[in-house]
Amino acid sequence: MVLNLRSPLVVASGPGGMGEYMEFIDPKALGAYILKTITLHHKEGATPPRIRAGKDFVINRIGLENPGIDTFVEDTVAGKYDHLFDRVPVILSLGGDSPDEYKEIARRALPIIDRFIAVEYNFSCPNVEAGGLAIVSDRMVLKDIMVSIRDILKDTFLIAKFGIEGIFVEQASEMVKDTGWNGITLINTIRGIVKTHDGYLRGGISGAVLKPIGMRAVYEVRQRHGDMFIMASGGVYAPGDVKDYLEVGANAVQIGSALFKNPSIIGDIHEGLSDKSS
Amino acid sequence: MHRWENKTIHIKKRFKLTDDTYILVLREHIDFIPGQFIMIENPMATRKPFILGYFGEDTALAIQVKGKGTRWIVNQSVLKAHYPLGKPFIPPQGKGITIVSPASLTFGCSMFRVYGTDVLLGSRKEILTDIPFTYVIGDSAFADKIREIKGHYDYYVVNGSRGMEKFVYDTVGEGVFVSLEEYMACGIGACKGCAIQTKDGIKHVCTDGPIFRGDEIWF
Ligand SMILES: Cc1cc2nc3c(=O)[nH]c(=O)nc-3n(C[C@H](O)[C@H](O)[C@H](O)COP(=O)(O)O)c2cc1C
Ligand code: FES
Repeated sequence: MVLNLRSPLVVASGPGGMGEYMEFIDPKALGAYILKTITLHHKEGATPPRIRAGKDFVINRIGLENPGIDTFVEDTVAGKYDHLFDRVPVILSLGGDSPDEYKEIARRALPIIDRFIAVEYNFSCPNVEAGGLAIVSDRMVLKDIMVSIRDILKDTFLIAKFGIEGIFVEQASEMVKDTGWNGITLINTIRGIVKTHDGYLRGGISGAVLKPIGMRAVYEVRQRHGDMFIMASGGVYAPGDVKDYLEVGANAVQIGSALFKNPSIIGDIHEGLSDKSS
Repeated sequence: MHRWENKTIHIKKRFKLTDDTYILVLREHIDFIPGQFIMIENPMATRKPFILGYFGEDTALAIQVKGKGTRWIVNQSVLKAHYPLGKPFIPPQGKGITIVSPASLTFGCSMFRVYGTDVLLGSRKEILTDIPFTYVIGDSAFADKIREIKGHYDYYVVNGSRGMEKFVYDTVGEGVFVSLEEYMACGIGACKGCAIQTKDGIKHVCTDGPIFRGDEIWF
């Protein structure tokens, strides 16, 4: 299976919400829009405060606030996201709180799965108790989940999103290959902490500080797997960042926190890339 | 109303309202309804939200310097921003008053201009500019004033510190609306960063607010 994107630029899961940024983006500039991670059950998210920023980073503990897969499927069938599907290829992001949830959500997504060009599984959210990071630290459990999902979503282009905590990216990429998944996204946020006026905010770090770390992750995986589909995520703010990631082996590059700095960034980067190549 | 992404705005005049709060008067006229806000780019990784307002006839912002980002913003003459965002505030019937701190004085002006409310400014600091509204300096003068106006209005809109908002709500009760501040990353409902816990569950300041009924809020 191959994923042909009309542009290497992709909106990352989370910062892009459920498509809200599309009002600022020229569809031609965008390869795909990844929706915020959906879990089996509705999640209210973490208690506030949830987000802070420095010059070079954002820290968040949103806690995967989302409507849950059943409501999401109903809304999708009812046409709530048609404005998005009509304009741009969409990737679904799924997550869970336990191995069973990771599998069950795949089954529940089946009725609408054809509307997405791919599914990205979030194996790396640092902001939920049992899902994400906790799952990947047990290789047997992770493998079992990935094999089962591959079996349920037989015809879907499956992308596994890993961070650098709980598992080495080298091992993660082996798992992707061994279980017959189609691609890998590297990396997710890294756990951090900042002081707030009345305490601490513990969350995942995103933004410019991630770029050299993401570059290394993409580089290592590309060294090992010449033909694996790799999406880079972490610290993309300018055309040069996209070029750098493509150079070390990414097939596509996600843009996340940079949307907060400049909602029109996708168009700006797209323009910057075409200027330089012409 | 058109929503502008990444528009350039120009500061035509800037002056100090208190020792740490500035009024920035814009060259452009911005269409908005009171309650709506603007997200301004700055050296930090996220834009910062400011409630839109007027000073006299002009679109204007009141900005309190709280850190590096706001310090930078008040010193610029050209800014990049997206606006107007947030839910417009539509007041109930009757006569209202808008109670503001220096950092929301321009919001007070917009409530006066658009809905004809009275405006009361409560400040802990000396006011350095002539303003056309009543003002009180210090907590006890503020408290006395709120007790005095209790019952005189059909609604009260408070945009100030949590302490101010709580005091007005506790004193006046029914008919109080409060404008909440929460750290924002997107301002458009995407990131879910601006969540607050209300009596009706999680709400998002950027899309459900910023103005809420006082009885929805846990003070
Ligand atoms: C506010 C926020 C929410 C996020 N939510 C998710 C999420 O729901 N699922 C996910 O896979 N990644 C999520 N992420 C991680 C991003 O997709 C991305 O991998 C990370 O932010 C690094 O990229 P960046 O530096 O371009 O932001 C979130 C990031 C932020 C800042
Ligand atoms: S600031 Fe992003 S959802 Fe409100």
